[in-house]
Amino acid sequence: MSQTSETFDPFDPTGMFKAMREANLDAWSKSMIQLVNSEAYAQASGAMLDTWLTNSGPLQKAMEAAMAQVLANLQMPSRGDIIRLAERLTNIEMKLDDLDAKLDEIQRTLGKAARPKSKSSHAENPG
Amino acid sequence: MNTTDARSPDCAEVYARLQKISENAKTFNRLVMTEAKIAQTPKEVVWTLNKAKLYHYVPVLPVEKQHKIPLLLVFAIMNRPHVLDLRPGHSFVEYMLRHGYDLYLLDWGAPGPEDSKLKFDDYTLEYLPRVVRKLKAVSGSDTFNMLGWCLGALISTMYAALRSDDGLKSLLLLTAPLDFKDKTTGGFIRWTTSDTFKPDSIVDHFGNVPGEMIDYGAKALKPVENFIGSYLNLWDNIDNPRVVEAWHAMNTWVRDIIPMAGGVYRQLIQEFYKENRLMEGTLVLRGERVDLARLKASVLNVIAEADHITPPCQSEGIMDRIGSQDKTLLRVKGGHIGIMAGSGAEKSTWPHIEQWLAARSH
Repeated sequence: MSQTSETFDPFDPTGMFKAMREANLDAWSKSMIQLVNSEAYAQASGAMLDTWLTNSGPLQKAMEAAMAQVLANLQMPSRGDIIRLAERLTNIEMKLDDLDAKLDEIQRTLGKAARPKSKSSHAENPG
Repeated sequence: MNTTDARSPDCAEVYARLQKISENAKTFNRLVMTEAKIAQTPKEVVWTLNKAKLYHYVPVLPVEKQHKIPLLLVFAIMNRPHVLDLRPGHSFVEYMLRHGYDLYLLDWGAPGPEDSKLKFDDYTLEYLPRVVRKLKAVSGSDTFNMLGWCLGALISTMYAALRSDDGLKSLLLLTAPLDFKDKTTGGFIRWTTSDTFKPDSIVDHFGNVPGEMIDYGAKALKPVENFIGSYLNLWDNIDNPRVVEAWHAMNTWVRDIIPMAGGVYRQLIQEFYKENRLMEGTLVLRGERVDLARLKASVLNVIAEADHITPPCQSEGIMDRIGSQDKTLLRVKGGHIGIMAGSGAEKSTWPHIEQWLAARSH
């Protein structure tokens, strides 16, 4: 697939682009990295993002309110209801994990208590 | 193909070449659009909480040949941890299992809308202590070693400083973003500390920060390489199965993006990038001040010299602040991901990590 920049092969569709790349890609890459690392880019991209968020925010809120109303009218849970339910499930999971920790601790204590006993029983019955 | 040949190609030759281009284009399309099988090393889930999972890898060596102290891998919160076990034959997990480590992997999972308020406080002092507790119960060891990568290294560092008596013996930090004093080195810090950048607006709008947004940000740091160069590289090497397989696996991992919890994002930008609280000693998690001097575990801090996501200056400064007596700074040639998942990682990075850890795993 390779092709030098001095030649042109019409049967390699990327040939022209590759020849150009060989000559320019490094320089292009360096200049783009320099650009995105500049203060001007940081300012401009932040401002563009903020403008988009400011403009789309009211529409998003209006849609959320409308959807919540529709779901309420249909006697269905809203996104907020499901989020609250999921949060409660996570809290229950935490409680279960606390119980699991306690069980592990009990198991460990029992294991420690049982070990010397089994050693002594081996000692009593070497055969 | 000899392009300097003056003879015009005949019809059969033209047809064959067009057919080859067509085949290559199909292969290219398949590789870009499909998923490779990654994270194949056998493992079992030993703990779950909310979206988080703790995996235990099935050991490949008998118990008597294994290191006594288990190793916990903690990856970043905005990507899947599969990059640690990318593909059979090129996997850090595989490598460490072959060297006798008892390996555990923490997968934070993808936060849902109900997790948008999660903060570093929760990851560091709610989730990680529970993970450590379970790891100890499963492994039967009171001590453990921990490897944190990227934001996983940040969480691991905070945990190690706050819970220095929890059995952590050694801490490995990979490309750890910890020190944000220099506001001009690196694209992320420039963008996020600009006065036009408003993390509160982003979080208020989205809840969790979309993975696409984070992915775009990471790729935009090197736009030509990521948006063009990567695909050109694939096209150039499409007849090379080794390159193709590696590219496909990496692309599968890169495409598997997850959102970042809104609370964490807000905190990352405000308290770390803007105010540098960890290094200033003013960071407080759940009412506890994070004092790096209290971090006593042995530390290996691995820095990627060509890291554009976490520039070396964001990782180096911690060495003078931590209370550890046994601490080593290791510089490796390569980028943020490349040092651990690149084709040369098995020679340039993994052996250093393994040898350092082997001496601290008994």
